[in-house]
Amino acid sequence: MADFNYPAAFDVIVIGGGHAGCEAALASARLGASTLLLTQDLDTLAQMSCNPSIGGVGKGQLVREVDALGGQMGRAADASALSSQTLNTSKGAAVRSPRAQCDKKMYQAAMKLAVERAPGLLAVQDEAAEILTRAGRACGVRTARGTRYAAGAVVVTAGTFMRGLIHIGLDTFRGGRYNHPPSDLLSKSLRGLGFRLGRLKTGTPMRLLARGIDFTRCERQAPNSPPVPFSHFTGKITNPQLPCWITRTSARTAEVIRGALHNSPLYSGKINSTGPRYCPSIEDKVVKFPHHGAHHLFLEPEGFNTDEYYVNGLSTSLPEATQLEIVRSVPGLEKAEIVRAGYAIEYDYSDPAQLDYTLQTRVLPGLFMAGQVNGTTGYEEAAAQGLIAGANAALLAQGKELIVLRRDEAYIGVMIDDLVSKGVDEPYRMFTSRAEYRLLLRADNADLRLAPRALALGLLPKNLEKSFTAYRAAVDALLAGKKPKALPRGPWKLAAARFTAATEKTYAMYIERSRKEAERLKKFEHLRIPEDFDYAAARALPNEARHKLQRHRPGTLAQAGRVPGVTPADVQLLWVLLEKRRRGTV
Amino acid sequence: MQLPDINDTIAAQATPPGAGAIAVIRLSGPRAFAAAASFLSPAPKAPVHAAARMLSVHDGGRLVDKVVALFFHGPASYTGQDTVEISCHGSPYIIRTIMNLAVRAGARPAGPGEFTLRAFLAGKLDLAQAEGVAELISAGSAGAHLAAITQVEGSLSQKVRAAKAGLVGLLSELEARLDDSYEEIPALRLKDFSRRAAAARKVIAGLAGSFEAGRGIREGCKVVIAGAPNAGKSSLLNALLGRDRAMVSPEAGTTRDTLEDSLEIDGFSVLFTDTAGLNARAASRLEREGMRRTAAAIARADAVILVRDGSIRGTASDALAQKETAAMAPGARLIRVLAKADLPLRRKPVAGELPVSAKTGTGLPRLTAALIAGQKKIFKDGAQAVVTSARHFAALSEAAQELGKLQELLARKDPPAELAAERLRAALADLGGILGETTPEEVLAGIFSSFCVGK
Repeated sequence: MADFNYPAAFDVIVIGGGHAGCEAALASARLGASTLLLTQDLDTLAQMSCNPSIGGVGKGQLVREVDALGGQMGRAADASALSSQTLNTSKGAAVRSPRAQCDKKMYQAAMKLAVERAPGLLAVQDEAAEILTRAGRACGVRTARGTRYAAGAVVVTAGTFMRGLIHIGLDTFRGGRYNHPPSDLLSKSLRGLGFRLGRLKTGTPMRLLARGIDFTRCERQAPNSPPVPFSHFTGKITNPQLPCWITRTSARTAEVIRGALHNSPLYSGKINSTGPRYCPSIEDKVVKFPHHGAHHLFLEPEGFNTDEYYVNGLSTSLPEATQLEIVRSVPGLEKAEIVRAGYAIEYDYSDPAQLDYTLQTRVLPGLFMAGQVNGTTGYEEAAAQGLIAGANAALLAQGKELIVLRRDEAYIGVMIDDLVSKGVDEPYRMFTSRAEYRLLLRADNADLRLAPRALALGLLPKNLEKSFTAYRAAVDALLAGKKPKALPRGPWKLAAARFTAATEKTYAMYIERSRKEAERLKKFEHLRIPEDFDYAAARALPNEARHKLQRHRPGTLAQAGRVPGVTPADVQLLWVLLEKRRRGTV
Repeated sequence: MQLPDINDTIAAQATPPGAGAIAVIRLSGPRAFAAAASFLSPAPKAPVHAAARMLSVHDGGRLVDKVVALFFHGPASYTGQDTVEISCHGSPYIIRTIMNLAVRAGARPAGPGEFTLRAFLAGKLDLAQAEGVAELISAGSAGAHLAAITQVEGSLSQKVRAAKAGLVGLLSELEARLDDSYEEIPALRLKDFSRRAAAARKVIAGLAGSFEAGRGIREGCKVVIAGAPNAGKSSLLNALLGRDRAMVSPEAGTTRDTLEDSLEIDGFSVLFTDTAGLNARAASRLEREGMRRTAAAIARADAVILVRDGSIRGTASDALAQKETAAMAPGARLIRVLAKADLPLRRKPVAGELPVSAKTGTGLPRLTAALIAGQKKIFKDGAQAVVTSARHFAALSEAAQELGKLQELLARKDPPAELAAERLRAALADLGGILGETTPEEVLAGIFSSFCVGK
């Protein structure tokens, strides 16, 4: 292996080209940082390894926030949407969420092109093997081919690739995704640097060929008409829209599964790592909810130019023979053919309690982490973290102040705060239930909440400023009961302003209370706890609180209050100690 | 998050709880002067710093007490903020009334340690003192009383925890449906949900309602000594206190007004009120006024000792005294005492009547044991949750209010789930003031244990 020092240094290197990696690299480049994206395979950039959809309840809000911060996910989803749906339409605007089924290949193509055309961004096909350090800081990456790239900051977005192990029945083989090699070297490098890594598990269902599906026995799920784009930067979705199909498991399905549990890696004890509770495999559903006679299944097209269907609801790691029996026990799928088997995957993740609230690791300054490697699941969660980590890596390399979003500002803030303050014991997925300021954090007002910051930082181009300012003025006018002025040409339209103003009015009473509460807490959000605060010496704190705080190292007093097991009295006391220290009397 | 606001106005009794001759109530914060001026008269317009003033406290035109008030302009005060210290007579009733007036004027009952915290943040205390905040946060008073209160509050938090679990369950049902991307979960069974929400509200409102009983524990059990003139009430009081608090004479009607003093029995505080005798043939206006006050004291009592003179035969006044006890508050106890047991017995004791001699001490131990039996029972069986802190009372009341509003929402035609959830979240946040925060994880755990949620 020939060692080769790449002749130029980058500001930022992003390891991984999935949903986190692409957003990280694009955000970094948008801030003017010279950026390198390293991926094992350029043809799998932004691959949707599991379901063919973007958005959903909670997740759709994240996509809107990514969009408001200049990210690419919403635009790529709009470019590839084949079935757009607004969820929770029967409920209030705060929980209404956009989702779109997407053509996977089109999605990838849209993202790949955006990466290729981003000024200052270079995507190279090679595997990252080692994080290089100098004086206790990340300073670059060595690849499997032996190339050394120097950088001011590094972002790891390894997804499920680190020591990935795939299970189908009792067979196992190494891989970060079916038929793609795992990344074992990076895992070893991180361990060597002192990172605490753990194992998590996730899974994906089988794919079927359309030909064997009897759609006449399924319920048709019509798309929105007209389709509603995620992004304000998408004028109109021009793709034709396709339906999805609904069927359900039968009594026979449960019978087949119960008879095959001894061959399940989950139930035979072969997989010990934790999978997500909210996205359970079908064997989990049957075992844990025996009283449910049937479980819904959604048949979702994987694209315009393929006849593959994703079977949402049948995630499984049972043996292939059983998978076929399961599929054929479902009404409408009696003659279906499996073209890709479902599987479970175990992978290394890095305990997110090792991060600070900018997604920089405390273990190695200059190293950031985003996406599934932090113990999350979902494309949207990954993209949102990627954007923040990429932007912060660029800001760090440029010697500027990093950004942190608060819980009352964005779902992104809620997610990062949860990850850092609480760690994870299962893959973390966004839910609106996680947001205490749910009525403030809506899909419709994501731009109002975040675009000003994106414009100030340069994540959104300066020339959008006029359009946005006029938009905000229109919302304010409508709230004050005045007639809004006509908006200049630009992405933001009057219809959106009207919707947001009407929503704010409906929720006025509740929003006012939430805002006051957020305002009150904000004071404590600003009360920072120094990195080197010595909890061991804070003997006035009870033991339990001391251990918990020591482990999670909250960045602010408000975060300390959210660490499980830390009581309000502990926080009060901690406050006293901090004030004392700030006044220089300790 | 329960970090206290340090920029509002707080009020609390600064002297130890329970009876003392003088109590100090302290107000601190930007509205401290204004709040105090609202019930002090003549209302101090521009109070001089650190000068004591003799003022009256009025509650809706009625004189409550004559007090000494001290005004401190921040930052030259204990907390560094505008502070008013009101020294009043140590009657729990007066203290409570003044606290109520302060709260009505916009002050908030202070949490434990809050004055100290403010003092610390104003740089008025050193670290050793500030660390004492930790103890202040956990401790209320001392000794047996503290242990007892801790136990009562322990059983309270059990009850609150149970109520909270119910609310988390309700919230999970709403949240599961709000977060259900595939709309797979069947619709809420609204009737059943409303019924459970109403039941939870009732429990929480009931706990808030126990504050009255809890106050008795904190402030002491109020015992009124009543009976016919010259039955030996004042002698009994003096014997109980072990010192001559009341003037006694063989002459009937020596005690013209009610008289208060307190005693610590086994760590429990008992506040005695000696009263003017209930005379069936009251002659003077003064005597009738005294009797009116006696009746008022009986109505407020936790227990009444009805004293009869065992050395004489029954009189019309005994019958009147017996009749007056009918005005006792529901739940208050009647303890019958046959006084002057050292003299030859001239009448038959009724069932449960204790023969007591103030002179020899006969029967006194049995009487004191009977007095605190009620309080002891509350602590011992632990089954009875009692709210003893104003902060907890406020939290429970607010939670009950939110749940009331939830019921209004649920009565609508298509109840908006996200708003119903908002009410439940608010109620849970209120209960958080007692137990600590409800985390979304608790709610998610509720969701995942009962619903099969897809991706």
